[in-house]
Amino acid sequence: MAATRRLGTGWTGLGVWIALLGLGIIGPGAAWGQDAATDFRNNCMSCHTIGGGRLVGPDLKGVTSRQDRAWLLKFITDPKAMIDSGDPEAQKLLKESGGVIMPTLPLGKARIEALIDLLESESKLERSKFAGQVVSNRPLGPEDIAAGERIFTGRQALSAGGAACYSCHTVQGVGGLGGGALGPDLTKVFERLGGRKGLTAWLGSPATATMQAAFGTHPLEQGEIESLVAYFQSQTQLAETPQPRQLFLGLGLAGACFALWGLNSLWKRRLGGVRRAMVQKAAIKG
Amino acid sequence: MNVRSQIAMVFHLDKCIGCHTCSIACKNIWTDREGAEYMWWNNVETKPGTGFPTRWEDQDTYRGGWEIKDGKLRLRSANKGYVLGKIFHNPAQPSIDEYYEPWTYRYQDLFNAPEGSDQPIARPVSKITGKEIAIEAGPNWDDDLGGSPVYAENDPNLDSLTEEQREQLFAVERLVMFYFPRICNHCLNPSCVAACPSGAIYKRGEDGIVLIDQTRCRGWRACVSACPYKKVFFNWKTGKSEKCLLCFPRLETGQAPACFHSCVGRIRYLGVLLYDADRIEEVALSSDENLIEAHRSMILDPHDPQVIRQAQSNGVHDSVIEAAQKSPVYQFVKVWKMALPPHIEFRTLPMLFYVPPMSPVMSMRKGDVLTQSDQGLFHEIDNARVPMQYLAKLFGAGHDAKVRYALKKQMAIRSYRRAVTVGDIEPHIANQMLREADCTPAEAEAIYKLTSLCTFEERFVIPPMHREEALEMMEDPMDHKRETGFGLVGKPQRGS
Repeated sequence: MAATRRLGTGWTGLGVWIALLGLGIIGPGAAWGQDAATDFRNNCMSCHTIGGGRLVGPDLKGVTSRQDRAWLLKFITDPKAMIDSGDPEAQKLLKESGGVIMPTLPLGKARIEALIDLLESESKLERSKFAGQVVSNRPLGPEDIAAGERIFTGRQALSAGGAACYSCHTVQGVGGLGGGALGPDLTKVFERLGGRKGLTAWLGSPATATMQAAFGTHPLEQGEIESLVAYFQSQTQLAETPQPRQLFLGLGLAGACFALWGLNSLWKRRLGGVRRAMVQKAAIKG
Repeated sequence: MNVRSQIAMVFHLDKCIGCHTCSIACKNIWTDREGAEYMWWNNVETKPGTGFPTRWEDQDTYRGGWEIKDGKLRLRSANKGYVLGKIFHNPAQPSIDEYYEPWTYRYQDLFNAPEGSDQPIARPVSKITGKEIAIEAGPNWDDDLGGSPVYAENDPNLDSLTEEQREQLFAVERLVMFYFPRICNHCLNPSCVAACPSGAIYKRGEDGIVLIDQTRCRGWRACVSACPYKKVFFNWKTGKSEKCLLCFPRLETGQAPACFHSCVGRIRYLGVLLYDADRIEEVALSSDENLIEAHRSMILDPHDPQVIRQAQSNGVHDSVIEAAQKSPVYQFVKVWKMALPPHIEFRTLPMLFYVPPMSPVMSMRKGDVLTQSDQGLFHEIDNARVPMQYLAKLFGAGHDAKVRYALKKQMAIRSYRRAVTVGDIEPHIANQMLREADCTPAEAEAIYKLTSLCTFEERFVIPPMHREEALEMMEDPMDHKRETGFGLVGKPQRGS
């Protein structure tokens, strides 16, 4: 009896779920409760403003009048494909942003359309709420650089509990073996992401899927961002030369091979056996 | 005094004809299985020779047996640091190549080969890999190869010989070999038991047979390294070690072990010895020179009333004591002092003893004629073809006194019997020889009888095994009767 009742409840529950899905009430988009403004804040604001001037990417005020809607949709859907296809406008944008390719956003067509709508409506406003944050002009001193290095290497924990930059990134000359190799080398990141303003904006809400996953729930604080920017600025002078690490790897491998060879010749007799060696010796003696 | 009983053995090497019947009898009963093909719990070696596995006597290579360190007995193979350092590869353990890769022949090739101008042949295939192999060695590869420059010359026992003696040994006129049949010695101080990390090897209390519990063995192979006689073998199929069990199922039913039973030369004797278990450590710590005498002194007189009393109080059954009194082993080892343990310097105190072999008749060339030596048919033992030092290395821990005694006695008895039956030796000369060999005519007759005219019952004095009493040593059957009936081998399986 009991088993039958439980089974019945199960089937009813499943039925309700199927019905709700069918009505589109529990769609993924709806479940996250995102609208175009949130999407813009999460995905675009690290590189773009609307009427706030250029960061890494161009100021998007009036972009809908500069480009036609179909082009925008195509570009936002897959920027890399657009650049690779040799589109002259896309090539120009790439050059302007100093070679930084816009990341492919994890958004569907409907949400990109909504974003374009948002761009259009916000461009008409005198002062958009997406004009970008105000970056302080406070001069950055050596203590900021030192603090930035501490944050980068993880000697100072991030206040929101994010992972230290060092675990995935490296900059030239940091640590004995350099930092992680999972993310890109950050030696030139200050130049690449458009200086103090661009880098500050980018660190405030990182755009790539990996960084979002890592820092989405552990955002950096304003003070931390300033220190990191100072640190990266100080690193810009250094050359991005990956050779020493390859040399280190090569030397390591060579050393390991040499050690194995040495051990092997030291314990050569370990696999030699008794009888075979004895017979061979007798054969040589004749 | 802690009197215990042990089934002990004597192999009379002067009688061994090297027919390998013992090995085959053993193989057919015990090791004719997958994973055990390469094992020869009983094997017969040609001496001088390297044996099976190759050069097993060389403990610098195999690290078997005991050594004395800081006045204490230590296993050569199992100091903790050494074991830890070699835990993934133990170079002291013989590889399959030191035994031999067992093989069979693909006989079907003889029937299935396509017609051609050549005779089809059955190709050898490995019994381990199943692939074709080039046969390099076998368990008796050096059988009868007296003086071979490969095997005989590499016998570790030749180390003590001078260069001149070596040359003589391998000179064509003096070429010599004898046979050395070997089984597990069922030692009193077994290093295999001491080395086992799983506690799977044990020496049976009632008869001293050393056995491996197949359910507790975890295949560490520490015993394979530790046994200086290399008589524990690793079964690669079951992943457990195995060894000679002295055919205990046969002994328990009053039959001699298969290799004893089938021995064509009737070289094998089996009987009970009573020994003092309290003295094992003290005896094993003796100096090389005193080892044999100390070992002998552990073996107790089964007629001594005090020994009998102690044995009885230790739970040794009267029938076992009676068997000990009739034991041929006791006669050979303790009374006549003719049987010697092999390589007692390994300090495991073997309970298998060997009567050292007399060498073949010495001949020499005179012109074109090959005649006996000037000393007649029987030569001085020091002029024997097998040098005394060689036998001393094998049976005397490097000291020849005991070996000399045993050989001299044998020689005297030969002369004495020759004087009795043929008469070409003067009786007073024969008697003089007996006196010099510490022997009397009565003893000579007794030795002659047990050597040459022995019956089955005289060679094998097997006591009733009293398994029921052996069980009672470990558990009280009355407990079982009261609590769980007569007990079950496994726990009962009930339906769920």
